[in-house]
Amino acid sequence: MIRDFVYLGPSCLKEALTFLSEYKDKCKIIGGGQSLLILMRQGLVSPEYLIDIKHLKELNHINFDSKEGLKIGATTTHRAIEKSSLIKEHFPVLIKMEQNLASIQTRNWGTIGGNLAHADPAGDPGPVLIALNATVKIANKDRERTMPIEEFFLDYFETALEEGELLLEIQIPVTPPKTATVYEKFNIIKNEQAIVSVAASITLDNNGLNCTDARIVLGAAAPIPKRVKEAEQMLVGQKLNDGLLDQVCKKASEEAEPVADIHATEEYRRYLAQVLTKKMVKNAWKQAEVSA
Amino acid sequence: MKKYSVINSPVHNIDGIAKVTGRATYAFDVKLPSMLYGKILRSPYPHAKILNIDTSKAERLNGVKAVVTGKDTLGIKQGIWRRFKELCDEEILSRSKVRYIGEPVAAVAAVDEDLAEEALDLIEVEYEPLAAVFDPVEAIKEGAPQLHENAERNINVTRHIEWGDVEEGFKEADYIREDWFRCSSQHHVCMETHNAVASYTPDRKLTVWTSTQSHYYIQVLLAWTLGLRENDIRVISRYTGGGFGSKFELDSAQFCASLLSMKLFRPVKIVLTREEEFIATKRRTPMFYYLRTGVKKDGTFLAKEGRVFTEGGAYTSMGATALYLTGFFQAFPYVWPNYRYDGYRVYTNTEPSSAMRGFGAPQATFAAETQIDLIANDLGIDPIEIRRKNAMYAGYEVPGQAWIQSCGLRECLDKVEEWIKSRGKLPLNRGIGIAAYGFMSGGIFNWFDTPYAFSSAMVKVNIDGKVDLYIGSQDMGQGSNTTMAMICAEELGIRLEDIRLHMGDTDICPVDLGAWGSRETLMQGNAVKMASAEAKQQILEFAAAKLAPNIVYDLDIKDRWAHLIARPERGISYYDVVIEAIRGRDGQPIIGRGHYTPHRKGMISPAYSFGVQAVEADIDPDTGKISLINCVTAHDCGQVINPLAVEGQLEGAIAMAAGYGFTEDLPMDEGKILNPNLVDYKVLRAREMPETKVIEVETYEPEGPFGAKEAGEGLTNPTAGALSNAIFHAAGVSIKNLPITPEKVLNALREKDDKKEQ
Amino acid sequence: MEKKLLRLTVNGEYHELYIKPKKLLVEVLRDELGLTGTKRACDTASCGACTVLLNRVAVKSCSILAMQTDGAEVITVEGLANGAKLSPLQRAFLDYGAYQCGFCTAGMLMTATGLLNENPTPTKEEIKEGIQGNICRCTGYNSIIRAIKAVAEGKYKEEE
Repeated sequence: MIRDFVYLGPSCLKEALTFLSEYKDKCKIIGGGQSLLILMRQGLVSPEYLIDIKHLKELNHINFDSKEGLKIGATTTHRAIEKSSLIKEHFPVLIKMEQNLASIQTRNWGTIGGNLAHADPAGDPGPVLIALNATVKIANKDRERTMPIEEFFLDYFETALEEGELLLEIQIPVTPPKTATVYEKFNIIKNEQAIVSVAASITLDNNGLNCTDARIVLGAAAPIPKRVKEAEQMLVGQKLNDGLLDQVCKKASEEAEPVADIHATEEYRRYLAQVLTKKMVKNAWKQAEVSA
Repeated sequence: MKKYSVINSPVHNIDGIAKVTGRATYAFDVKLPSMLYGKILRSPYPHAKILNIDTSKAERLNGVKAVVTGKDTLGIKQGIWRRFKELCDEEILSRSKVRYIGEPVAAVAAVDEDLAEEALDLIEVEYEPLAAVFDPVEAIKEGAPQLHENAERNINVTRHIEWGDVEEGFKEADYIREDWFRCSSQHHVCMETHNAVASYTPDRKLTVWTSTQSHYYIQVLLAWTLGLRENDIRVISRYTGGGFGSKFELDSAQFCASLLSMKLFRPVKIVLTREEEFIATKRRTPMFYYLRTGVKKDGTFLAKEGRVFTEGGAYTSMGATALYLTGFFQAFPYVWPNYRYDGYRVYTNTEPSSAMRGFGAPQATFAAETQIDLIANDLGIDPIEIRRKNAMYAGYEVPGQAWIQSCGLRECLDKVEEWIKSRGKLPLNRGIGIAAYGFMSGGIFNWFDTPYAFSSAMVKVNIDGKVDLYIGSQDMGQGSNTTMAMICAEELGIRLEDIRLHMGDTDICPVDLGAWGSRETLMQGNAVKMASAEAKQQILEFAAAKLAPNIVYDLDIKDRWAHLIARPERGISYYDVVIEAIRGRDGQPIIGRGHYTPHRKGMISPAYSFGVQAVEADIDPDTGKISLINCVTAHDCGQVINPLAVEGQLEGAIAMAAGYGFTEDLPMDEGKILNPNLVDYKVLRAREMPETKVIEVETYEPEGPFGAKEAGEGLTNPTAGALSNAIFHAAGVSIKNLPITPEKVLNALREKDDKKEQ
Repeated sequence: MEKKLLRLTVNGEYHELYIKPKKLLVEVLRDELGLTGTKRACDTASCGACTVLLNRVAVKSCSILAMQTDGAEVITVEGLANGAKLSPLQRAFLDYGAYQCGFCTAGMLMTATGLLNENPTPTKEEIKEGIQGNICRCTGYNSIIRAIKAVAEGKYKEEE
């Protein structure tokens, strides 16, 4: 049952940030509410004040610049990302990620910022954005700051947002040459939450032979979307071969911190991490070979 | 000329326009003046004594109008197996003891739903927790906690079916196989959750709008538990948003809403949340299966012995029937010279297990058909061939149990074999598995102890030719409303649009036992046909008087034309003869009455449907994940009445039965269901569905209206077995533990690889 | 708790309502406006039975805070037909028997309407993806997919 609250509809970002600083821990932000309302219905979250940022124009945009890369405002809907021709051209992995996220209805109203702020370790955008080396811009009433999105997730449903702070924007740098990013999630019913997911980004040298950078991120296999850095390091400077791939995905599975629940045992999640890592690294590598 | 004018043609469902325009009013939608909202407080313990309930704080909350507990009831232990009082063991609002997590202990009525929910937190219940037991094999042991006083070692019901001599059969056998299976539970997941609006008025009459599969049962059970006269209760259920076996017993929404309304003389509405729906309604009976089977080396079936433990949950419910039917359908659809079945239903401190589409037969079919493929494989016999060799046939008598009057099983096997051949060589990691089944068209046993005919109908013909059809059956989506209207139209010789249907209201409708056990098409259908024939006869008397034919000529009505059958051009319009008939009989409308109760039709059912299903599935060898590609079903439901409905029932059955096979489960921890929501409980959605194909095999069942039998419940039987067989043929592993999750497949594959290496 | 003004156009009709801020869109539609065609069947935004069109796109009305729809246009299942003239999707559903108990039907129709508004000629795969957010326990989805496909193929024109 949702408890009563005072509804605040700020007309601009400045007003929203002022409310946030005024009401501190008594308030919550609502974007699309696709995660928040379920928590409120279950009585897990009962703010006294609800600040509605859904319609703030300053936070709803998708811009691309050949130097600064992609900038997505926090209240951009999943569906807008899914349908964006800019994103299709420059970051198609985001399109694929969105197409398998929840349902069209949820994507029509839910926001990317809301998803990231909710920090569900099984969330889809987190791993992909980390693989894309994204940063997030955060603001409070007085100042703005940015951080690598990797550092944004702290624990289950806990982010680096401090009291009075709001997520403003996600920035994704221009894709380096000879780079490809891929993502896949494992589930039983399509579009449902991942049992385990893996995002992988591979950058090759100009000849397309040796790996110069690797980012492998596990979803739903740790309290936060987790980069498996030891596994990544095994790839840097190397050419791809089956033996190396086997070692890398085994390492990734060791670095995972999965839990057991009714959907999978810990062992199976580790195994899925291994299987998916192998597939994603291989796919990303092949795509990077033929990319510009 | 087409054989039938109305039946066996695709027609618009007569509830269609109401449903696609959002005008169909379900009990979920009912709102009355002065209506209050109710909520139910439920036990957090799987087994506990109720020492005291203090409702004073809740009653003082502003906006709360009443709180009731077991003390406000007559304390009647009710149950649906009324004929056996010892099996009537459920109070609903328990007075002294709770036996499962979720059992109701109190109910509140308030001016809005949120207030009612708040009030629940203010009710103070003092429990004395008792030791609990969750596994039937544990519950049956000496010294296990006892749930019910009269059930020693928690044995609720036992069933024994036997013919021939299995030991002799095993002696003759060239090959014997033993297998153990675990059949999981499953939840109905009706889209409309259980709910009721109860209104007790100062004239001491109770009206209950509810979502049900049997308004008659609810009327009788409410009368019994509330101490009212049956016909001082009116139960209304015009539209039911899904049933699947969950909605023909008295439930907590109906009982508590009625109780509260009787106290307040105001309407009270209770709608169960999805979580309550999962934990505190009823569910499919989980079963532990042992099968020992003996065959000749050429595949001839000789002897089968089955032993089953079912996890009964806290109360009998309809579990006794599931126990019997699983033992009966274990022997279907084959000729077994020797058979023995022993079933034990054991009380456990879990949500009661009861009836769900298939009623014990999907479990039986899964175990039987999986084992048959294993036997066939061991002996090097083709899976279709071994089934063909032993298939039931029209005229077969299941010794002491049933007569099979119509049976298209052989033809179903032929059709499926044809399709499998057409698929050619399958790619790697793909397999096709089959399962054959049979199912009942309504049950014979009067466990409810009704004095009425099992189904009745009335037809009234009005001056403008419009026909009022009164039926007792309940349409929960399976299309019985349209099917009955089609039968009436066919028999009377009119069109669907000439019929005005009356159903779902105990004040108006004749008694029918309800939509369960696949009984409507055969039983209600027969009653409708009889009533329509009686009305037609009265009309034809006047047609005969008008046409004055030679005595050797018979008359009939087809497509609104009353005519000589031998000379169809000689006739009179239906509308004209109706006018004559009514005028000629003192201005009285023409009334026809019909009824049906199976007499001397064996132990189980008057007729049986049959079918064979093939499932084509892929396995991902890296993850064990299963993808459904194709599902082809050849089935015999006698004469098809409503083809769109049959196809819909088949496709819906596949979704539900495939779910039973590989995605749906109700895992519990100490009696607590761990996934009581639609995020964690996985039903199939559109992207998981295979391509489906239905092949009708037409037979004629003398017992059914126009030769029709059931279609819809039996179709749920084969899919889990066909799927396990598909996996067996794709990957060489046989999984006997439902649901077949990717993890189980992967573990089985690894085990197989390990064995190879050894 | 102070009620707030909500201005909402539903099925072409403008309404001014005073509601508690915690009200969900589905509650406003069903309880305040009496439009009970839209259903609720879960508490986790899983089933899609509550789907309506909000500013022309399909959303799950059980997961929309009503206050966020101030000034918006909503279409529910009651707004699909024009008197006796059913929409092409409604007619296709009737012909293909794309419903049984009917409880998910409003949600399915609204999701399908939203889908075809955006993409009038979806492939079968796109249709399946389109309704993946809607649960039907009765039909097994294939008849619904056939009905939507038939409309997508132009077999049903808007009635004059």
